[in-house]
Formats: sequence, structure tokens, C-alpha cells
Amino acid sequence: MILETQQLTYQYASGKTLCFPDIQLHAGEKILIVGPSGSGKSTCLNLLSGVLPSQTGTITLNGQNYTTQTRHQLDQLRADHIGIIFQSLNLIPYLSGFENVALSLQFSQQRRANVSNINISINQLAEGLGLTSDILIKQPKAMSIGQQQRIAVIRAMLGKPALILADEPTSALDPMATEQFMTELTRSIDPAEQAVIVVSHNPALVPLFDRVVQIGAKV
Amino acid sequence: MISLAFASMRARLFPIVLVILALTSSMALLLGVDRIKVATQNGFNQSLSGVDLVLGPRGSGIELMLYTVFHLGKPTNNITTETLKDIAQNPKIEWAVPVALGDSHRGYRVIATSSEYFERIKFAGDQSLQFTEGSAFQELKDVVIGSAVANALGYAVGTPMFITHGSGSLGKLHDDFAFQVTGVLASTGTPTDRAIFVSLEGYELIHLGWSNGSQAISLKNVDVQKMPTERLYPQTITAAYLGLSSKLGLFQVGRSINEYGEEAVSAIIPGVALAELWSIVGSVDSVFKLLNWLIIGISIIAMMTMTMTSLESRTREMTILRSLGATPLHLSSIILAETFLISGFSGLLAVGLVRLLTWVSVDVLSEWAGIRIELIWITTHELFILGLIVLAGLVASLIPAGRVYKRSLHRGFSS
Repeated sequence: MILETQQLTYQYASGKTLCFPDIQLHAGEKILIVGPSGSGKSTCLNLLSGVLPSQTGTITLNGQNYTTQTRHQLDQLRADHIGIIFQSLNLIPYLSGFENVALSLQFSQQRRANVSNINISINQLAEGLGLTSDILIKQPKAMSIGQQQRIAVIRAMLGKPALILADEPTSALDPMATEQFMTELTRSIDPAEQAVIVVSHNPALVPLFDRVVQIGAKV
Repeated sequence: MISLAFASMRARLFPIVLVILALTSSMALLLGVDRIKVATQNGFNQSLSGVDLVLGPRGSGIELMLYTVFHLGKPTNNITTETLKDIAQNPKIEWAVPVALGDSHRGYRVIATSSEYFERIKFAGDQSLQFTEGSAFQELKDVVIGSAVANALGYAVGTPMFITHGSGSLGKLHDDFAFQVTGVLASTGTPTDRAIFVSLEGYELIHLGWSNGSQAISLKNVDVQKMPTERLYPQTITAAYLGLSSKLGLFQVGRSINEYGEEAVSAIIPGVALAELWSIVGSVDSVFKLLNWLIIGISIIAMMTMTMTSLESRTREMTILRSLGATPLHLSSIILAETFLISGFSGLLAVGLVRLLTWVSVDVLSEWAGIRIELIWITTHELFILGLIVLAGLVASLIPAGRVYKRSLHRGFSS
């Protein structure tokens, strides 16, 4: 089991409380979390990534319970075991594609250890996503949105983290590019060691996933 | 972290260059003023050495130092040579060099003294006065000039000159007796460089027939060669430098002079009077220093403001780093590293700038103001000051760094 959540809730400062369904994620699985705007999809992602501390319930990633971890340990857990892809603006504008990707190894010794040769690993991942090496030396402003999203996928995948979290990764892409992107993303993971959770409000993505988790607001 | 901070700074080059320029200028100003102060203080303290006591009329010790050593102001009273002879008989006093002041030449003070002056008076610790040309005076018409006088007026050995009565430019010229340069002193970086030395007898000679500031008898009709030199020894002098056989007797001799009953005289210890004088002059330096620190403070605030205003536009950058596992401490460290790089680089530039300016102005300052600045890169004290500024910058950047820390701790990715 890669990830397991139980009775997870989150209360905002305003008093509004969100209850999340339990999730069990095994290696090779792809889950789509869907829900309307304001349903708590982003909060769920923040909780799963350990950026927001869980208030009630438990989250266990690779056997490590979030509630027993300090903030610093949660940051380290994220660096070692989670690759995150955002909706857009995934890249640091003043770094090249290659530097943006390599940044994922900066904070994790474990992910560094999983990469024997950084150049070869990045180029292999780039090839798998249909990117040529000349794209890697460009800065984000010289790339298309699709290329930027693929660079973000390479960064999330480098060093083989157990969980890939993606927050609306295709919202800036057209339907054709969306399908291609999702196919490439799910194809890039190692089914023996990795799993994917994608957060989206796009029901068209449902057929591409093993399971769908519906999130809805509850006061 | 440093490489990331460096890359981020490269992306915001223009505002960062402006902040670096502001910091570099203020740091260079601080270092420059400090160097001029140190050079001035050194020159000040080294202006008179080898003298144990200065004998003069009773009054302010600082005033006595000002007109004897720094050639500033006018001597108010004289002391008689009889008194000097009497005091010099004290076995503890090894030598006495009298000086008489009052006249000038084209704005430079004339010091009447004995040729022993050039052997006894030292500067910068124990350095003797050296002649670059000629020698000390032997005859009534002989004159020795300081290096700055020689450079400014273009005088050399053999140049004839007249002396003006009094220290003002409107004084009457002693045009009935021409002096001639016989020696040029090497540069010392002290008021000696801007002085003109004549013998006491020559000085007395040009004042023969003067009464109450006006000339009654001209020397043009007098055969000065036939005048007995011993009769030209002045009756009064302005002051005298005294050297003791042993420093142990310094306070005892000083006290005995101050208690001298025949004439109202006093003795001052040059080191003590110089320290007292510097404490007055030094307060000006404190004002400059205060202003400089204010400028540095403003530059640091500018740096902090730039960092604070850039935080909003860097939210995405911080979010990405957080998603990769960067802790709030990591993000704060980037802000601190940027401040360190900016202030450290500004410090290096300031050192280079001061070195360049020193190199360019060293001769001008020496000739124009008599300030001798050492051509060095940086002193331990300056390193400490720069370290302090970098530290102050780091402390100031704790505010934006703390803000980043707090924000990244409480906000999720969607923010």
C-alpha cells in the first residue's frame, strides 16, 4: 500500500468543515479525485502532500503516519516520496528546463540515490514524454504550455517518488492534448513502485483512471 | 541555496544592481572617511616626536600646541631667553631648542630656531628630519624650507626670498634683507612640510629697528656682516622644545617649570596635549561617522524594501520549492542568502572602490592637505565594519525571511 487515508476532515478558520472519503492507493493505481469548485480538492491535495497539517483522521504514506511526523519530517517525506504537478506555472521562470527538473533532487537524498546519472535519467524521461533535449536548455518563457507541463512531469517523476500528485494538470490543454498528456503521465510511472492521484473537475478524464473519488462539501 | 539565490537575483538584476550601487557607495564613503580620519590622526600624533616637554608662556596647553606644532593661531605672549637659560640649567634637561614665531612668507609660517632643531625634532616615532637638498642654516640669510613649500612655490637651494612681518598676507615685507634657501627638507606628512625655518639671529636681525609693528630703521644702510652674531640672539622667544635625560623626571621637571617664580611659564607634555586636542577635533569625525551610518541604514532599508516588494511576485517560486520538499527554513534561507550576497558583494566593491580612489588621490591629499593615506586593501578594523554592515543587512532581512517562513507554514499550494 502506498497511501491510505482514514476519516480525514479539515476545518477552516471560518468554521467550515470538509470530510474526505477514505482512500486506499496501491502501487500502479491511478485515482482521479473529482468535485465541484469549493469542494476541497486543493485542500485534499495540500493534506495529502503534508503541506497542511491534518486535524483529524490519519494519512499514511509508505507506512509513515503523518500525525506522528513533525512539520520538518513531513517536508522531508514530501521531498522523498511525492512528486507534485500543478495546474500551470509549474516552473521557476529564471531556471532552464533542465535546472527546473534537477531541483527535485535538491531536497531529497533518497531521490538523489535513485538517480545514477542525472543527465541520462532526465533525457530518458524527456524522451518518454516526447520532449527533445533542446527543450531542456530553454527557459519556461520559450516553451509552450504543453512543454512546460511535460517538464513538470519529468520533475515530479525524477528519482522515482512513490506518489505523484497532480492538481488540474490539463486545465490549460485542449481535449486532444489532455488525453495525450494523461496517457504519457500514466505510462511514465513504474507500476511496481508508484501510484498517481490526479485532482480535477473534468469528468472527461474519468475513463483514464482506475478509480474515481468524489469529494463534496459538507458543513 | 546560494546558487538558487544567485539565479533568482540574476533574474531581478536591475533593482538589485541599484541596491548594490547604493550600498557600495555608502560603504565606500564610510571606509573613505575612516581612512582619512586614521591618516589624519596618525599625522596628528606623529607630528612631533622626540620632545619631552614644550615650554611656553603660561596659558592654554592646547593653544601652545596649536601655534608651536601646527602653526595655527597667533602666539599671545613670549618668554624671555633668560628664563629659558635658567630652566635649561636643570640637570634633568638634556637639551633645549627655542622657537620664535610671528612672521610668514606667502602664507607659510616662518619658524625661527637654532640648527639643533633639525637634529632634535623627530616625527612619526623616531624618524629624523632629512634634507633632500642642501643643509641646515649656517649664516643669517640661510633658510630651510619644508617639502610642501618647495613644491608649491617651486623653491630650491639658492632661491632668494623675503619674509613678511606677521602671519597675514597684508603684513609689511621685510624687504631690506633677502634670505636664501640653503636646505629643503624631505616630506614628513606633518606641519613641518609647510614651514619655513630661519635662524633666531636672522629673525632678530630683520626685526631690528621695528617697534609696535612698524619699521623705524632700514637694514639697507646697515652692514649686517659686521654685526656680532651673539648680540643678535633674541631677548624673547615664543616657546622652546625640551628634551630630558630621563623620562622618569618628566613630571618632576614639568612641575618645577609650572611653579617657576621668575616668569609666568608652563610646560606641557606633547602627547597629553595632542590627545586633548584630538578629542576636540575628533568630534567632527563622529558627526561624519553618524551621517555615514545613517546612509548605510537607509541603504539597508532600501534592500529590505526591495526584498519585501519582490515577495508577492515570488509566491509561485516559493510554492514550487515547497512542493519539492523545501522547508520554510529553506525558503527563509534563500532570502538571507540573497541579502548576504548583495551586502557581501557591495562590501567587496566598496573595498575596491576605496582602493582605487586612494590610489588616485594619495598624492593630491598628501600635497594639498598633508594627509598621508596608506595604499592598502583593507584593515582588520575595516573588515570588522564591513562584517557589521553585512550582519545588519542580515538582521534587517529577517523581517522578509520571517514573513516567507510564516506564509509557507500556514498556506497551502493553492495560495
